[in-house]
Amino acid sequence: MIRTIPEVPAELFRPAAFDAEAAERTGYARYSYWRSTFRTFLKSPVSIFLLALIVVLTTASFVYPLFAHVDLGAVNLDTETWNLSPNRDHVFGTDGLGRDIWALTWYGTRTSLLLGFVIAILDVGIGMIAGALWGYVRKLDRIMTELYNVLNNIPQTVFLVLLAYIMRPGFWTIVTALCSTGWIGIARFVRNKVITIRDAEYNVASRCLGTPLRRMITRNVLPYLVSILIMEAALTIPYSIGSEVFLGFIGLGLPIDTISLGNLVNQGKNNFMLYPYQLTWPTVIMAAITVSFYIVGNRFSDASDPRNHV
Amino acid sequence: MSREVLLSVRDLRVDFPVGRKTFTAVRDVSFDVYRGETFSLVGESGSGKTTIGRAIMRIHPASAGEIRYRDRRVSGRIDAASERLLRQKIQMIFQDPMACLNERAKIDYIVSEGLYNFKLFRDEEERKEKVERALRDVGLLPEFATRFPHEFSGGQRQRIGIARALVMEPELLIADEPISALDVSIRAQVINLMNRLKREKNLTYFFIAHDLSVVRFISDRIAVIHRGRIVELAGAEDLFARPLHPYTRALLSAVPVPDPDAEAGKRPAGYDPARAHDYSRESPAWREALPGHFVLGTEGEAEEWARGA
Repeated sequence: MIRTIPEVPAELFRPAAFDAEAAERTGYARYSYWRSTFRTFLKSPVSIFLLALIVVLTTASFVYPLFAHVDLGAVNLDTETWNLSPNRDHVFGTDGLGRDIWALTWYGTRTSLLLGFVIAILDVGIGMIAGALWGYVRKLDRIMTELYNVLNNIPQTVFLVLLAYIMRPGFWTIVTALCSTGWIGIARFVRNKVITIRDAEYNVASRCLGTPLRRMITRNVLPYLVSILIMEAALTIPYSIGSEVFLGFIGLGLPIDTISLGNLVNQGKNNFMLYPYQLTWPTVIMAAITVSFYIVGNRFSDASDPRNHV
Repeated sequence: MSREVLLSVRDLRVDFPVGRKTFTAVRDVSFDVYRGETFSLVGESGSGKTTIGRAIMRIHPASAGEIRYRDRRVSGRIDAASERLLRQKIQMIFQDPMACLNERAKIDYIVSEGLYNFKLFRDEEERKEKVERALRDVGLLPEFATRFPHEFSGGQRQRIGIARALVMEPELLIADEPISALDVSIRAQVINLMNRLKREKNLTYFFIAHDLSVVRFISDRIAVIHRGRIVELAGAEDLFARPLHPYTRALLSAVPVPDPDAEAGKRPAGYDPARAHDYSRESPAWREALPGHFVLGTEGEAEEWARGA
């Protein structure tokens, strides 16, 4: 289609004087790293759904025990209430002591999530600082690499069994056990990243200005690592929850009177042939949490890469 | 001439470890930079010119020789006061404006970084004022302080880098190819800015470049470096009018002339050190071939080149 351009009315235009400041204003674009990261992340409905699922499950598991007032230590001698299949009063059924599995699951989820969060924070916190120093201070490289080789070459299970003999089973034993080897993996990851940005020109510029090491790490290095650290934390949480279940399975988990997903899964496993629902629900919840964290962590790491921002 | 020597480099050598061996990037380099001049260092890629700049800034340690600033030693082990003097009074401008700014910090922090390091302000207000003045000096708007580097164009980013140096109130600016990574259209803008700042702030420039046409336009004196050694040093016009060393001649012959007829049949003079010199009996030394015009060569060579000029 050919269109003719109508006569341009001259009175609509005014001559503009040259303005250096206005020229400077045209020179930049508004681009925010975090805004683009979240926009890319929220583009996918799967990410939104799984993130919502994590938020709902986490909130519910922390809120439920505040309102439920269920005494899970109480032993019910009325055999009528033992091993009930899911019904209207007990939506997930009851276990061999007559306890409501719905309530147990929320208490257990809370313990497991708490464990996951604590381990993730410690692992990432220690790993981040150690990794930044490892990458930045050249003299530390050999010592840390040897330490990494030593820690990494001891089979995890052997180490955990030994530790279980030394320490009493409990929440902090598991935290110690998983963190004592977990941090160095993250530290190595951070170290590799730091080495790639250590000699970048902006770091040379900071050295020319006499910036001390502490500020170099906090202002020049760590801000570049925030996105990968969030991802590492998101992946450590499901790993820790899974490890707790595994430790419970080999008999090194939390004490039997502590309600956790690991203990619930183990109890359910023992009764699986007779009462399969006792295993099903805790496992479903655990799987939902670990898979959600895993996928959300991966999606976030993709979204935090500026190459995926356009 | 009784001009004040601001920066003095004597017999500088810089080695880099390459596996078990060492690679000598710079050797026997000596020169003085006088206050108020623009001293340029010209050479091809890998000739060691950036290494010299970074050795002055103590990024690369000097393996031998001495660097003095205002007659205070600033190479090797130095005390905190000398370090402070160096970090404040000598500033550097970098080649790549896309790489030399911290992407995760606001312009406000980038420009203030040196001020924070040496507590060069009484209160927040004075710091903000200094940042604003530095941004104004390079033609940027004070409101840019709250933005991040990735929002700016290459020329603007290079000026942010200059503001970061200016805020320290330096005397000597080491400019490491500050325009070679910029669009041709904004090179003149940055060069003009640097010339204006030099006048207004009484700056001295140590300019590192490979582009001879730009160097001629801005320099007072030029040193030509080849494979880590300075081969010739002279006043800018003197060097272009009477290049003595064969390497300098080869370099100058490679500069394009805006005349298609002259360019059409031109064959740049090559330089092969093995054929150009016979150093089997006498090693080359640093000699004043003509007044104020130094070359690296034997006594015979220096006389011969000076006669030919």
